[in-house]
Amino acid sequence: MNSSNILHVLNLLTPEIVLCGLAFGVLLLDIIFFRSDSVEHRHEQLGCSVIIGLVMVFFIYALQYMDWQNTFVVGHGAFVASRLNTLFKMAVVGLALITVVIGFKTPYSTHVGEYYGLMLFSVLGMVFLISSEDLLMIFIALELISLTLYVLTAFQKGARRSVEGGLKYFIFGGFSAAFLLFGLSYIYGATGHTSLREIAGALQGDQLAKVPMKMLGIGILFTLVGLGFKIAAAPFHLWAPDAYEGAPTPVAAMIATGSKIASFVALTKLLLIGLPAAAGSALSWPTRWHSGWAGTVAIIAVLSMTIGNFAAIMQTNVKRLLAYSSVAHAGYILVAIVAIQASGVPAPSAAPAIYFYIIIYALTNIGAFGVVNAIGSKAGGDDFEHFTGMARRSPYLSLLMLIFMLSLAGIPPLAGFFGKFYLFAAAVQADPKNLGLLWLVAYAIAMSAVSLYYYLKLTKQMYVLPAKDPRRVTSNPAMNTSLGLIGLMVLLMGVFPNKVVERFENLNANPYPIWEAAVPPPPQPEIPVPAPAEKPAVPAPAAPAPKS
Amino acid sequence: MENSLFYFFSVAMLSCALLTITCKNPVSSVIFLVLAFFSMAGLFVLLNAFFLAAVQVLVYAGAIMVLFLFVIMLLNLPAEEKRHRGWFGGAASIFVMVALMLELSFVAHHEKLASSPASPGIDGTTEDVGMVLFSRYMLPFEVASLLLLAAMIGVIILSRKEKK
Repeated sequence: MNSSNILHVLNLLTPEIVLCGLAFGVLLLDIIFFRSDSVEHRHEQLGCSVIIGLVMVFFIYALQYMDWQNTFVVGHGAFVASRLNTLFKMAVVGLALITVVIGFKTPYSTHVGEYYGLMLFSVLGMVFLISSEDLLMIFIALELISLTLYVLTAFQKGARRSVEGGLKYFIFGGFSAAFLLFGLSYIYGATGHTSLREIAGALQGDQLAKVPMKMLGIGILFTLVGLGFKIAAAPFHLWAPDAYEGAPTPVAAMIATGSKIASFVALTKLLLIGLPAAAGSALSWPTRWHSGWAGTVAIIAVLSMTIGNFAAIMQTNVKRLLAYSSVAHAGYILVAIVAIQASGVPAPSAAPAIYFYIIIYALTNIGAFGVVNAIGSKAGGDDFEHFTGMARRSPYLSLLMLIFMLSLAGIPPLAGFFGKFYLFAAAVQADPKNLGLLWLVAYAIAMSAVSLYYYLKLTKQMYVLPAKDPRRVTSNPAMNTSLGLIGLMVLLMGVFPNKVVERFENLNANPYPIWEAAVPPPPQPEIPVPAPAEKPAVPAPAAPAPKS
Repeated sequence: MENSLFYFFSVAMLSCALLTITCKNPVSSVIFLVLAFFSMAGLFVLLNAFFLAAVQVLVYAGAIMVLFLFVIMLLNLPAEEKRHRGWFGGAASIFVMVALMLELSFVAHHEKLASSPASPGIDGTTEDVGMVLFSRYMLPFEVASLLLLAAMIGVIILSRKEKK
């Protein structure tokens, strides 16, 4: 690796380096300058600097997004810089920004610098996870996210529920990390590569005969278990309700949105880029069901939708309700992941539908958590009873909650409806002649009808029942504005969904051209960074530039 | 010879790991963990990863576990009491374990795997490890340092006694 290559890599990694510096800066500022100040004061100072820093990182990503036409691969896929990845990173940084705003001036602990520092480390993990196409890097980035989130979950050390939630999250997470690592080591052992594209290369054509497929199968199974924990899919979801309920609300929002986006992107990449050859099929059981990951993912999807939706009905705490609803939503997304390779060839509309849905889901959920935080901190808790008659006590927040709940349920003019529509349409189109996945789609639609019940139950609590406590609930202007913006975005994405989906489709013209474009053929020479500084168009011919 | 050593170290490692979990006395648990690490170092040697084996013994079995042992002895933890498990949880975990064992043995039986331990592409000398670590795996290596830092901050925060 010569010096111009190093400079080029540093150039690619600018936003990540800024993010890292921001995390160190916050930690050091707190120790050196603010130790003697009051907690509120430190919270204000550090919160403002984090917000400014994150806005900066967001804009660097935006510049990269506009600037790039190519994909750059560093270290055999340990870091892949592409426009699609940058789009997700922008989403994650934006969500982190909202998380900081939500948690602004609600100190959960006296360790303010560490709170923000760990949060930024977690964002860093998500950013690295999104851009990694290497088993080793995927594992390290996932652990960076998880370790910081365990600590943040238990951050409210005085509260019993916070510590309990953190401990449960830690034990389940550690266990799942062991499963994940075991699975990844089997995949590595069977194919001899850690880079996803090299794995795909080892599974192609006449190479395939050399690969011990049963061993690979075990590896995939264990990996799915490990990643299933991270995305909270049933039956690996048991940590989610306790962690969501116990964690400080901004942290719960982060677990539910940013880390979900990153984990889903990693799962999609692993299955799509690394293991498309091992997909099998989940079409109309039993005649056209071939063994492969598609069948396993289909079973996990069905379990997630069933357990998530039916368990959510029985909840009386809003955060637990959101936790179970996120299990159900993981199920819906998995339906499209099954579809993606359903009939042997990649389904063109499935990947954009998944990306669109992840973004919509994260946006709606962070809005819902923001409202829960605003109301919960004033009304004294986040059980259903604290939300009774909220429409009279705080009409603005209640209206926003109504929008978010209806969007999560998938009611037409809102973004959630189109998210589900694209998702299920992609699953049906995956096998247009025989409608092989219709069984899964029909089940998913039935389950989303069930979900309407519990979302409306919360809405009824807020709008129909009379308030016991007539005092008004207000929140600060910054929170009101940002929550209002999220509500507006959920509405607009529902009115113009095609604008967003087109963007993903362009980046994905045939399922993943940009990711593919950077790759030299599998048995590649030992060049860590295939892109000199002056002429960055070397890796491959530019993928179709999304100019409309 | 190599095969029999492999089986010896594997069996030693697995049984020590099992004893680590099942032992009631924390001190003997830690000792078994040290033994498990030693057997793992033996496996690394069989794979030609000499540097890794040395580091495993020096860092894990040596430094970290001795520290662990000191802390546990200083804390003077009592032996753990008998835990009561529900029959459902026990039955379910045994079922899952048996199913996995059957599956793995099925794979081991039907797959034509190389009979000797995996052959690594490189000799595990310090030079080779360094070359790989600072070229191809540079980025994961750096991110791992962030991971350790985050873990350290987290542990300090969580274990600190709060002033009232």
